[in-house]
Amino acid sequence: MKKFKIILLSALCLLLVTQYLFAQPIKNDLLLSLAYFNNNNQTQYLKATAKSKVNGKFQQVANVSIAFYIDDASSKVLLGKATTDHSGNAIMQIKSVASEIWKSSATQNFSVSTQEDKLYNASEANLAIVKAKISLDTLEDKSIVATLLELKDSNWLPIKEVDIRVAVKRMLGELNVAETATYTSDSLGMVTAEFTRDSLPGDSKGNLILIAKLDEHELYGNLTAEMIVPWGIKPLVHSTFNDRSLFARKGLTPIWLELLAYSIILIVWSIIIYLIFQIKKIIKLGV
Amino acid sequence: MSLDNSSRRDFIAAGILGSIAVAGCSSPFDPAANEVVKPSGEMVKLLSVDGEIIEVDKAFLKPVPELSAMTNQAERMGIPGRKFVMVIDLSRCKNLKKCQASCNHAHQIHPDQNWIKLHPVQESEKTAPYWQPTTCMHCDEPPCVKVCPVDATFKRQDGIVLIDSDRCIGCRFCMAACPYSTRVFNWEELDLPKAIAEKPYSCETSMPQKVGTVGKCDFCPDMVRKGELPHCVSACPNGVFFFGDSNEDSVTNGAETFRFSELLRDKAGYRLMEDLGTKPSVYYLPPVNRNFAFEGEDQGDVKH
Amino acid sequence: MEISAKNKIIQDLLPQKFGKPGKIWVSVLLLFCAVGMYAYYRQLTKGLVVTGLRDYVSWGIYISNFVFFVAISLVGSLITAVLRLSDVHWSTPLTRIAEIIAVSAITFASLIIIVDMGRPERFYNLFIHGRLQSPIMWDVIVITTYFFVSILLLYFPLLPDLAILIKLKGKTTTWLDRIYHFLGSFWKNTTEQINISNKAVNILSITIIPVAFAIHTVTSWLFATTYRPGWDSTNFGAYFISGAFLVGAGGVIVAMYVFRKSYKLEKYITDSHFDKMGKVLVLLALLYLYFNVNEFLVPAFKMKKSEEEHLLGLFTGEFSVLFWFAITTAMIIPIIILLFKGGRKPLPAFIAGVLVVIGSWFKRYLIVTPTLLHPFLPMRDVPANYRHYFPSWEEWAIAMGSLAGAMLVITFFARIFPIIPIQETITETEELAHEKV
Repeated sequence: MKKFKIILLSALCLLLVTQYLFAQPIKNDLLLSLAYFNNNNQTQYLKATAKSKVNGKFQQVANVSIAFYIDDASSKVLLGKATTDHSGNAIMQIKSVASEIWKSSATQNFSVSTQEDKLYNASEANLAIVKAKISLDTLEDKSIVATLLELKDSNWLPIKEVDIRVAVKRMLGELNVAETATYTSDSLGMVTAEFTRDSLPGDSKGNLILIAKLDEHELYGNLTAEMIVPWGIKPLVHSTFNDRSLFARKGLTPIWLELLAYSIILIVWSIIIYLIFQIKKIIKLGV
Repeated sequence: MSLDNSSRRDFIAAGILGSIAVAGCSSPFDPAANEVVKPSGEMVKLLSVDGEIIEVDKAFLKPVPELSAMTNQAERMGIPGRKFVMVIDLSRCKNLKKCQASCNHAHQIHPDQNWIKLHPVQESEKTAPYWQPTTCMHCDEPPCVKVCPVDATFKRQDGIVLIDSDRCIGCRFCMAACPYSTRVFNWEELDLPKAIAEKPYSCETSMPQKVGTVGKCDFCPDMVRKGELPHCVSACPNGVFFFGDSNEDSVTNGAETFRFSELLRDKAGYRLMEDLGTKPSVYYLPPVNRNFAFEGEDQGDVKH
Repeated sequence: MEISAKNKIIQDLLPQKFGKPGKIWVSVLLLFCAVGMYAYYRQLTKGLVVTGLRDYVSWGIYISNFVFFVAISLVGSLITAVLRLSDVHWSTPLTRIAEIIAVSAITFASLIIIVDMGRPERFYNLFIHGRLQSPIMWDVIVITTYFFVSILLLYFPLLPDLAILIKLKGKTTTWLDRIYHFLGSFWKNTTEQINISNKAVNILSITIIPVAFAIHTVTSWLFATTYRPGWDSTNFGAYFISGAFLVGAGGVIVAMYVFRKSYKLEKYITDSHFDKMGKVLVLLALLYLYFNVNEFLVPAFKMKKSEEEHLLGLFTGEFSVLFWFAITTAMIIPIIILLFKGGRKPLPAFIAGVLVVIGSWFKRYLIVTPTLLHPFLPMRDVPANYRHYFPSWEEWAIAMGSLAGAMLVITFFARIFPIIPIQETITETEELAHEKV
């Protein structure tokens, strides 16, 4: 019985050890997503995001090399490679690299891929888009008109029934121009928004940047249009940075404190120095 | 293939990060950058980290933030024309502590310490309890800065109060002076990853934290310079934290953007310990119409 | 005055070699210092983590020890300056004791504040980046000033004694002789020299009083310029100064007793000295008690929410034992002892002095620590050991080492120089004899 136990135990040990020895490091799957951006109908770029499931939660993966491709009639053409940043994003310009292919069609197919490495399996993602654009215009009474158009057989046609955001660009966010955040395009692909943000501080000249946006549309991607308007006010910058105060930097001590401190120091230390001279005098008398 | 000198420099600028900044992501602080970047038509050949040659319009190149090491002098001045503020909406806070975790991770703080704290507050027995996250208040008349003997903690023109850990003598007078108990002290050498520990200290990233010096919430000016929100703001799933510039009268939590003055007016915003005259830059919205019930296992600190 | 009488005084008051008790005393002090140095070495290598201090209680016994040192150093100005200017002569034999206590205490106050710093090697930043707005800067300035004024006040009256010591050359070792020569070989006791010296001492006596008030007022402002309950008080400067005079006078009585015993100075430090110092101590204890009543009764009457926990912690809570111990030992018991004539005899006065010093040390601890345990926003999101404070052995060792160091300085000073001014004693004896004639 005892013998049997030992055999069983050693077998179990062997099993554990072999499992440990021959175990392959488990690679994670990388989840790629691809998005298309068109800013002001001038810059078109792709953004790929790399994520991976860690402990049941998706987390962005940095430092992944991603290859970007655009579909030609018959083959894939490499746009370039980029490495993801700390938020898992990698960005690739389209136009400059493959302008001929880009111009050739109103619809485009893109793909991204990563190669298998030590940590992750190979992965890829595809995206098909229809070229579209937003344009912005303003009317006299501070209303904003945004027009959404798509390219069909070299003609720009309106896009109906799509929600567009109209906002003012801010340092880190976008402030709606009025209470409503989004507007639905009419049969002409147009939306009209009233600008109700009275006396909103703009840049140093009082200019504001209006922005019209179509976010994450499955056909058209992410479209934005920007426009500078003089509808804001100059910001009232009130700074005590260069004032003398108790909380200012060295050298900006309040005058009263400097006067008080230095006069006390001066008086007391001139007494001390005077007394040191008196010692000198005593020494002289004694020599 | 020939690369001339200037494009070689550009390659270094772009290549190390491995990503190219594009229009729209441009710095929010440069007034010129607010205008839309127009392609110059001049193409630059770049070598990517993987050895691929890529061609990019010169107009889209910009210095990589990580590389443009700011001088200590510039870090002490701050960003001109800005006045950073935060609004914390108490009605949304559920004590998830995601803000705290992301802050601790981003700044590599000692595991015993937190720059963001979550206080269970109940003013008196019959009033309602709620969760109150506290950051550094970045006071406009900061008592901590008043008492610093060596200018190691300072108030910038953009309103942020930062610490220069290369200058701090560790007297801890600022900790005694701060009524919000915001400041922590690095009692021992931190166990930091080598890559972080070897970096030169930056007042804007507050990293790496150094033994024998004081640390605290810094409003993440390094993130703001990159056009991103402070870590706590973007980490909060309930959008409790709003960050922005009061000169621009706007605050955002990433998903929503409000006019700062309207938000304070409509929701009756207030600041902590107003009677002390410290004039904090952090505003609170009262915990009315709360999204969540006050619950959680660690309410032990509630004081009546 | 007869030559023999004069020689007797000189013989009696010359510095003496350490006897057996002296050697044991010095060794014990050196041992304390060595342990303290080792503890500081540990703190330097590991950081302040070796202390019991954490984020909430970020100041502990180093700072209370600093306040104690600054307080006790104030006695130099009390005995020498205040009594001198009010033309009190009985205190002459005590002036040098008081001055050396002041010098050594202020020296160790500066050292202990460096020990408290997280980055002592950056001390020079105070000089290259110093901000005049900070009360710490004020403290650095006034403490340096007080140190130099005290040194001068110690030095001028020492000059005639140095001349006496040099005259008796054969009796001292060459090592000491060189010190005497260096410091005072030029003193020829001419009228002119005496006049300059007397004038200098008068100027110093006047100067040292505002400077002494400044060091302790500024030290109190390190606390009173913050918002914290228990520190946010307009009473703090006066409260600190009255406490400082009390502990300083207590320290002098202790030192008087010890020197009298070990150097057989019964003829010079007489029972009458103890009697008078005892009366001074009662007065100062009553004064400090008065400021304590102010400091605690008024906020306790209002019981503001922010102050409540702090005050109750002192009166009936976790610090109550220490609080009432400090109040009774530093004030109540000494007052009771010294109110009786019999209590002002050397031994009971000495005991009262010891009680004052010990009680005052703990009083400083109670000023610093309990306040920090009651921040405006309750303690939160910290480990359990951040919520309490008890000094670590390193802190105790360093604090005790610094106290031992201060006593060591006083001991060595008394070994090298006459602890009772010889020349002044002779002059006063002569004057007394003259008056009698």
